[in-house]
Amino acid sequence: MSEKLYGIIAKVMDISISEINDDSSPETIPSWDSFNSYILLDELESQFQTEFTIDEVTETKNVSDIKKHLKIHGINLDD
Amino acid sequence: MPEEEKISYYLKKSKTLENNFEKKIHISILSSFTLNGIEEIFQVKCNEKNISCKTHLGNYNQYNQEILDPNSDLYKSKSDLTFLILDTQNILEDLWYFPYSINDKQRENFIERKFNEIKNLISIFLKNSNSKLILSNFFIPTSSPYGIVESKSNFGLQKMILKLNDSLQNYIQNLDSVYLFDMNGFISKYGENNVFDPKQYLFGDIKISLDYIPYLVNNLMGYVIAILGISKRCIVLDLDNTLWGGIVGEDGFDGIKLGSDPSGKAFVEFQKYLLALQSRGILLAINSKNNFDDAIKVIEEHPDMVLKKEHFASIKINWNDKVSNIKEISNELNFGLDNFVFIDDDPLNREFMKSSLPEVLTIDLPKDPSKYVRIIQEINEFNLLKITDEDKQRGIMYSQQRERKTLEDSSNNLEDFLKNMDLKITIKKADSFTIPRISQLILKTNQFNLTTKRYSFEEIQTMSTDPNFLMGCVQVEDKFGDNGITAAFIVEKNNSKEWVIDTFLLSCRVMGRQIEKSILSYIIKIAKENNVPKIFTNFIPTKKNQPIENFLPDCGFKKEKDYWFISLIDSFKGPDFIKIEEK
Repeated sequence: MSEKLYGIIAKVMDISISEINDDSSPETIPSWDSFNSYILLDELESQFQTEFTIDEVTETKNVSDIKKHLKIHGINLDD
Repeated sequence: MPEEEKISYYLKKSKTLENNFEKKIHISILSSFTLNGIEEIFQVKCNEKNISCKTHLGNYNQYNQEILDPNSDLYKSKSDLTFLILDTQNILEDLWYFPYSINDKQRENFIERKFNEIKNLISIFLKNSNSKLILSNFFIPTSSPYGIVESKSNFGLQKMILKLNDSLQNYIQNLDSVYLFDMNGFISKYGENNVFDPKQYLFGDIKISLDYIPYLVNNLMGYVIAILGISKRCIVLDLDNTLWGGIVGEDGFDGIKLGSDPSGKAFVEFQKYLLALQSRGILLAINSKNNFDDAIKVIEEHPDMVLKKEHFASIKINWNDKVSNIKEISNELNFGLDNFVFIDDDPLNREFMKSSLPEVLTIDLPKDPSKYVRIIQEINEFNLLKITDEDKQRGIMYSQQRERKTLEDSSNNLEDFLKNMDLKITIKKADSFTIPRISQLILKTNQFNLTTKRYSFEEIQTMSTDPNFLMGCVQVEDKFGDNGITAAFIVEKNNSKEWVIDTFLLSCRVMGRQIEKSILSYIIKIAKENNVPKIFTNFIPTKKNQPIENFLPDCGFKKEKDYWFISLIDSFKGPDFIKIEEK
């Protein structure tokens, strides 16, 4: 399951995990502003111990994009 | 270096803060790049130190407008402390990448112009605000298109920033409310490649990466502490495994680790750093559970001890608990527990201290002594806005005071005590070396001051060269050390008929040792040599000079109308136990 990922997003955006789904994005979550997206990136990189390229970050529009890129980086969210 | 929390921790924590502390501060931050999050970090870090903190973060790269507009939010926020944090890339504009598109002279002019712009901002700020202003200096670029020959250029990229930093530092020297934060040092310490994250920069013009903003605030907190006057004044130290390796009671004098091998050297280095702090005015004290004789032998006799007995303002080596000991130290030195830092390798002792006396700053010492120096370098709670000569002397004076007190306690009466002090006074003429100190004494001495006449520096200078005046000052020494110039007098000669003591004073530091009688005996001796029949003087009572009230009758002066006199046919002798020298 994606609990770890949702936990991180919930913490950064200051919302509850139940409010998050694959379609969650800056459009659906009001606290997801540009500054919080930098913080989210910083948290994801340190907690999953990986580094995204600038193109990957630019392409990421919502939670399912994050999952897609984590998978490319060999991170299996179902572990 | 102590691990920092992530910025997300501070953002969350800042929502649950208490804001009713007695100590309050308003902080404004202006910056040429994105520094979001810095407000929350300041708020949390202030809260941890029981300070209520209000913040204002200027809009992105609007520092010029905010400073220039007298009605801006910056000035409305009535800050105590304003940080102006600018970055090199912003200030250099295109020259950041193309420094060599113009020639040496043009680069010099460019930097001159930038310096003047900043100077102008500072003076406008000072006109509009009572806040202290902390300006960051500029990071010196580490890479140049010229590569290895960068340092061969006359006024190249690096030289530009060096020059700008230097000009700023010179400029703020005499501005009391402006300080320069060493941003270049900050970035060097944590590493340019860590502090600057190119991705964060490209996405959000974040030039101090999110992970390093908490470290930056840590460094900036030094100003908060200094401005609120809550700096720590004394470091209380354990001995075993803190100042040396091992346990002296078990390992013995020769068995402890101090000097020679790498681990022993770690303790020597630690002691050296502590000594450096001591010599700028931070007091040191010992709080150790130990056999007194074992431990004091190491302090007094171990060849590799850097810290000697005289460096400690208070020494508690006994089997009492550490909390009682530190309370005693606090009473002895006469300042509150919130002035103390406690350093002990034993986590149990630390926990005990933290839970019993949370106002004491207890440092979590790492297990590895090689890290001790760094831990203490990271403490920014010793910061002051100014360091005076008196601060530098403080350690010595307190430890001498401790020795005097020990002798006083062990003496049966005051006279025995004074006799054992090996007191010596040196009478010095008023000259260009001593006049600044005489002037200071005349302006500041309140208690043991016969007439409390305040003269200006210039008046004192004039009197010192006038043959109608005998002016001098007195250096007081005893077996514990030099108290410095601590007394002064001015006698008006009136053509040698009748002398008048115009000024006679003694610093409170040397009161109670009958120094005054020795000085008087000296003046009388000189008067006799000049065949003066009588010395007159006046006692002018003030609210504070009771200590000198009985001085004149005690020395045989008689009262006549409004003034006192002593006839020099009567003999007056100063105390035998004080040696008098003249210079």
